[in-house]
Amino acid sequence: MLKINNLFANVDNGNKQIIHDLSLHIPAGEVHAVMGPNGAGKSTLSYVLTGKPGYEVTAGDVLLSGESLLDLSPEERASKGMFLSFQYPIEIPGVPTMTFLKTALNAQRRANGLDEMGAPEFLKKSRALAADLKIKPEMLKRPLNVGFSGGEKKRMEIFQMMMLEPDFILMDETDSGLDVDALRIVAEGVNKLREPKRGILIITHYQRLLDYIVPDKVHVLSDGRIAASGDAEFAKKLEAEGYDAYA
Amino acid sequence: MMPTHNINLFPTRRDENWKYSDLRSSLNQISKGIESINEPFFTLPDGLTTEEVGCECASLKNISSVLAENYCHKAWKIDVPESFESDQPLVISNLNCGHSQIIININKGGRLSLVEYHESQSNSFINTNIIINIMDKGELDRIIFHDDTHETVRISSAIINSESDTRITQNAISFGGALSRIETIITANGENLNATINGAYLLSESRHCDMTSNIDLLKPNCYIRQLVKGVVKDKSNGVFQGKFHVHRPAQFTDAEMRHDALMLSDTSKIRSKPELEIYADDVACAHGNTIGQLDEDVLFYLRQRSIPLSEAEAMLTEAFVSDVFYSLKDNHLKENILTKIRGRL
Ligand SMILES: Nc1ncnc2c1ncn2[C@@H]1O[C@H](COP(=O)(O)OP(=O)(O)O)[C@@H](O)[C@H]1O
Ligand SMILES: [Mg+2]
Repeated sequence: MLKINNLFANVDNGNKQIIHDLSLHIPAGEVHAVMGPNGAGKSTLSYVLTGKPGYEVTAGDVLLSGESLLDLSPEERASKGMFLSFQYPIEIPGVPTMTFLKTALNAQRRANGLDEMGAPEFLKKSRALAADLKIKPEMLKRPLNVGFSGGEKKRMEIFQMMMLEPDFILMDETDSGLDVDALRIVAEGVNKLREPKRGILIITHYQRLLDYIVPDKVHVLSDGRIAASGDAEFAKKLEAEGYDAYA
Repeated sequence: MMPTHNINLFPTRRDENWKYSDLRSSLNQISKGIESINEPFFTLPDGLTTEEVGCECASLKNISSVLAENYCHKAWKIDVPESFESDQPLVISNLNCGHSQIIININKGGRLSLVEYHESQSNSFINTNIIINIMDKGELDRIIFHDDTHETVRISSAIINSESDTRITQNAISFGGALSRIETIITANGENLNATINGAYLLSESRHCDMTSNIDLLKPNCYIRQLVKGVVKDKSNGVFQGKFHVHRPAQFTDAEMRHDALMLSDTSKIRSKPELEIYADDVACAHGNTIGQLDEDVLFYLRQRSIPLSEAEAMLTEAFVSDVFYSLKDNHLKENILTKIRGRL
């Protein structure tokens, strides 16, 4: 489903090479986790995959269902099904959450040749999902993420993900800022999205989230490349022993 | 072709008050309205009438007044009776070519809702000079909406004099023109004026808009809030000039001026001149002025959610300007304004 082949990428106008010869294959239906120390390049990888301006690929390729993403704009990649749950969700004053979400959903539908979703159906769907994630209806009327706690922002990312039903999900440190109850709610949401046609990549610093969302494979990202891979048990070993052995 | 009118009446950039808006040279492309009188169209609430009177020059320092006196042989006067109240606004429209002067007297305790809506069609010159006198406890709620073509040259100048315990709310919106200026000159001759003076300009192509205000406070206890937001793209020009003049007797003045502008292109320009001149010692006065761009991280976030760049920019721009109109009570009007803004983004 998502194939990353010998990828090299830099930031800071080419002055800082961060991803060095990284290859990774996440087949449809699988959940993979990427773990690694702070500064290893995990968030950089998520931005490179989603096309953030300023993150430049110098070699290699990224294919989603066989199609290269690298020449596509961020919005084109998103419409093709790439979704990033941000490590630091952005606050947008003046834009109500529901307006934002409806605009996003309908932009995605338009790009895929579908009719826009009407207001009644949108409201019904969003209310039901918000209730599942224990998001209060008042929060949806407020400007996106403005004044939300860290945990609320993360839950809002999952809410957006469930509304947009992306083909490929990238989650960057979704567990940070979540208490145990919120973690369980979020994990339940993600587990519902585990489907044969969907791929999921969970980026995390801690193993905690992986107790709730059990991955098929776990990789260590160190110095901009995949240094080792294993199964779900490997994550526990990494947490216990640290990443020093892979530096 | 040399114009026949008295060109010396029009200010050049050497004129301090017109430094950023070159009125004289902008007249070169103008074919109509420079010497003619413009008959306004009034939609009057029940109980108000208009009367034709002689034109007067309210202030020699005010170009709009000087021009009106020179080119108009009459003015339109409206008396708002004591304690007047109506749920209908007074609408002034059709000021789209030539000079006019309108005099409005709001008598004791009268409340007037005034809407000025103008939409020019061709390359004309427009000078509107409005004199508003507000007696004790009078209230003015004023909305100015200019939706002109890019060849229009428009000056809209209001000279507002207020007595004690008065309230003024003003919301102006302009999409600019070849040169477009909204001037608001307020003199508080009485205590306890409460004024909110808001404005927004959204400019594209090579449009120019100038929002200039001068607020003179002569008596104590006045409360002023001013918020002007501007958006410039392409090769457009935004000008903000704001002055609070707090005279020695105007103790306990509480006044705040803000101008925030968003530059969406490298070729657009913003010129801003906020001024505070304060002679009273027990006052709270502040001004703020920012010029910024759309935040790249926010744009990326929206694009990551499938929203195309142009739509993301429009969304953020609308969010930026819309809080100017946040306090508008008339929801229908507010929605109309926002729809117009959306159409321009
Ligand atoms: N835009 C940028 N400009 C310069 N350096 C950057 C930029 N983004 C990330 N880096 C650097 O790249 C390295 C990897 O960062 P990041 O991908 O955020 O790590 P992680 O998410 O694994 O903690 C760090 O050293 C960071 O300082
Ligand atoms: Mg990170």
